[in-house]
Amino acid sequence: MSGPAGLLAPAFMQRALVEAVLVGALCGVVGVHVLLRRLPFFAMAMGHATFPGVVLASIAGIDLLLGAGLFGLAVVLAVALFGSTRRVDPTSATGVVLAGAFALGVLLVSTRSGFSRDLAAYLTGSIVTVRPGDLVVTAAVAAAVLAALAALHKELLLGAFDPTTLAALGYPAVALDVAFLVLLELVVVACVPAVGTILPVALLTAPAAAARLWTDRLGVSMAVGGALGAASGAAGLLLSAAWRIAAGPAIVLVAAAAFAASLLLAPGHGARRLARRAAARSATAVS
Amino acid sequence: MPTSAEPSANGPAAGPAAALDLRDVALAYDRVPVVEGVTASILPGRGVALVGPNGAGKSTLLRAVLGLVEVVRGSIAVLGRSPAAARGEVAYVPQADVLDAEFPVSALQVVLMGRYRRIGWLRRPGRADRAAAAQALEQVGLAALARRRFGALSGGQRQRVLLARAIAQEARLLLLDEPFNGVDATSQELLLAALARLRAGGAAVLLSTHDLALAHLACDQACLLNHHQFGFGPVGATLTPELLRATYGGRALGLSGDDLILMRP
Amino acid sequence: MRLLLDPFAVPFMRRALAEALLLGVLGGAVGVAVVLRRLAFYGEVLSHTVFPGVVLAAILGWPLPLGALVFALLTAALVAPLGASRRVGADASLAIVMTAMFAVGVALVSLRSTFATDLTLLLFGRLLAVGAGEVLLTAAVGAAVLVTLGLLSKELVLRAFDPGGAAALGYRTVALDLVLNLCVALVVVVALEAVGTMLVLAFLVIPAVAARLVTERIATMTLVACALGALGGWLGLAASFQASVRYGLRVGSAAAVVAVLVACFLACLALAPVLRRVRARAAGGARAAAAGRAA
Repeated sequence: MSGPAGLLAPAFMQRALVEAVLVGALCGVVGVHVLLRRLPFFAMAMGHATFPGVVLASIAGIDLLLGAGLFGLAVVLAVALFGSTRRVDPTSATGVVLAGAFALGVLLVSTRSGFSRDLAAYLTGSIVTVRPGDLVVTAAVAAAVLAALAALHKELLLGAFDPTTLAALGYPAVALDVAFLVLLELVVVACVPAVGTILPVALLTAPAAAARLWTDRLGVSMAVGGALGAASGAAGLLLSAAWRIAAGPAIVLVAAAAFAASLLLAPGHGARRLARRAAARSATAVS
Repeated sequence: MPTSAEPSANGPAAGPAAALDLRDVALAYDRVPVVEGVTASILPGRGVALVGPNGAGKSTLLRAVLGLVEVVRGSIAVLGRSPAAARGEVAYVPQADVLDAEFPVSALQVVLMGRYRRIGWLRRPGRADRAAAAQALEQVGLAALARRRFGALSGGQRQRVLLARAIAQEARLLLLDEPFNGVDATSQELLLAALARLRAGGAAVLLSTHDLALAHLACDQACLLNHHQFGFGPVGATLTPELLRATYGGRALGLSGDDLILMRP
Repeated sequence: MRLLLDPFAVPFMRRALAEALLLGVLGGAVGVAVVLRRLAFYGEVLSHTVFPGVVLAAILGWPLPLGALVFALLTAALVAPLGASRRVGADASLAIVMTAMFAVGVALVSLRSTFATDLTLLLFGRLLAVGAGEVLLTAAVGAAVLVTLGLLSKELVLRAFDPGGAAALGYRTVALDLVLNLCVALVVVVALEAVGTMLVLAFLVIPAVAARLVTERIATMTLVACALGALGGWLGLAASFQASVRYGLRVGSAAAVVAVLVACFLACLALAPVLRRVRARAAGGARAAAAGRAA
């Protein structure tokens, strides 16, 4: 097909493609753990909380990953602190921190001229302006996070499945949970150039959720999630070039569509199962 | 206050050291006292049934032995050490219901979790570990279902898998939280048999239950708990109508037969 | 004091102030209900899902609140069946749907060359540009919402505190929930032109959570939340005006309001232990007397 090849001719598109595939694959794999630990909303909060960090880093001229990452971690700790005191319940604590952090980010951005463009980039990504240096950083973060997940695989598994036993066996359960949150924050920050700060949660949730609908095995679901994430990244980028819409939302919509399709088509779940159950019920009713 | 018929073991005298030694233990959650005055001792190979109504502090006591709850008075010695130091040698068997049924793990993978401490950080389960896990599943009669997803098994089967995990851990003290709740008769038999084998091998068992018949079958000693300890000693001498009525407060509804008592848990 | 009153000599600032005060009070009152029912996430969901509605309305030339309202109702309908799959949790499904809807909105906006400015406008509003019509709408809708909440206050409290008991007493809990969700949706709808979809949550959550820290009585909580909301509106607007006029620093007005609200929250957080000790001493005296009598 000359279509995609033509769209991918310019160098910036090729860089964007690599970034999209890297980010998609990383999120697809990490997303499996996000689901197991029931962290989708927390991941959303992290995205929002990272936003002011991104702005601060950009204003201060320091590396995005470093500035935004540190800031995001600080916010995560703040939420954990607020939530653990009995006075403020965790949902409300998250709400306050989210809204406050967001407003702070907007405040900071609005002090600069040309702020709308920056705002749009920070919030919804601007993958087509990715530079070769950014690609290296993304690849390095992906490698580091995946290596950490592999090294801690069985401990993370037990911690998600039976945290009491993890503690009972003598593991530092809290430290392991925090370690995962650190990894998650790294991934969220790595997503910013591609999809901004509001959309990463979809990449962290949809491909992994779709994978879960097809397989019962943890290892396989991580592989399928990664593949679906990478495919969403590539397809979304191509669609955005063909239809002239922003890349970030296009990638997210492809991932969401994959999830919806899995809901409908995956054996044992979704529409086919509901239809079969309805048929079974009407059969027994007749007899 | 009614006391037990037999005095509890008093510290390491002649004979094997206690696997678990509780002396006048009081526990609190956020400074709210939950349990107090627990004194009991479990020697290797013995089994103690922790009996009491819901909310009596049984789960809290088990978690304290794991070092997860603050001890505000008294002392807990696990295998001669503090609870935190003895972790890894103590196996915890939770109720199967608290675990997520949709989690993508097989029965075998759950049993392997008991070996993690042995395997250590950064390493993956080896052949010896898989053999031990398979052996443990064999002991609870689930070897054929090793690859089935944990959540796809019945309640009784899941409880057996969790006991197999404890077996695979080769721990010297096992703590079981209501292991017979909602468990079918076959699974009950298999659980009892596995527990007997563990005790014969020298492991000590502490399990909480409000099924008195099963307490008699699984254990040789009992501890009555309802925030306070109402008794500790041999099963037959401790699970008496008077002590049970005292423990359960006004909730004992009546007697029927020698060792069957009707009451609301 | 002059610093805080000067800005409002100008008509557009007065309108902005009126809007900000109205939103502060409305947000505070509805916010208490939201916080008691732990519904903060519902506000978060709404701020994502009404966005495509707002964009569509802007593209089609409809009034923005109308688009928001339609999508708010759609959200209420969608949220219920999302718990259907057990394999994928309800929270995951919800997160995917709301982000996907938000992505649709962004994609639509990005079709235009004025993408960046449009996005900013729709997400963060333009408090300083509110017209008299908008202020009137906010006042009217706000009054209706406050009256409804006032009339239903004891039922809503019961439902928040003891859902089982409320149902047992024969209250139609589904209907009560729907009313509250509708009130939240209406706040989002009237606020969106002034402060945008993303900052509405701040008005709903922050004053109420702050009020919760300093009092345990619902009536007092509501008054404190409304007062804090109004204070935020006033101080935030004044601060952003002064910053721009005196120091040449342009800051978004709505964001400045939220910053003030956060500061109030932090102040309440600091005050909370002191107030608790005062309350505890008063209660402890009564309890000790009662215990003495019982022993």
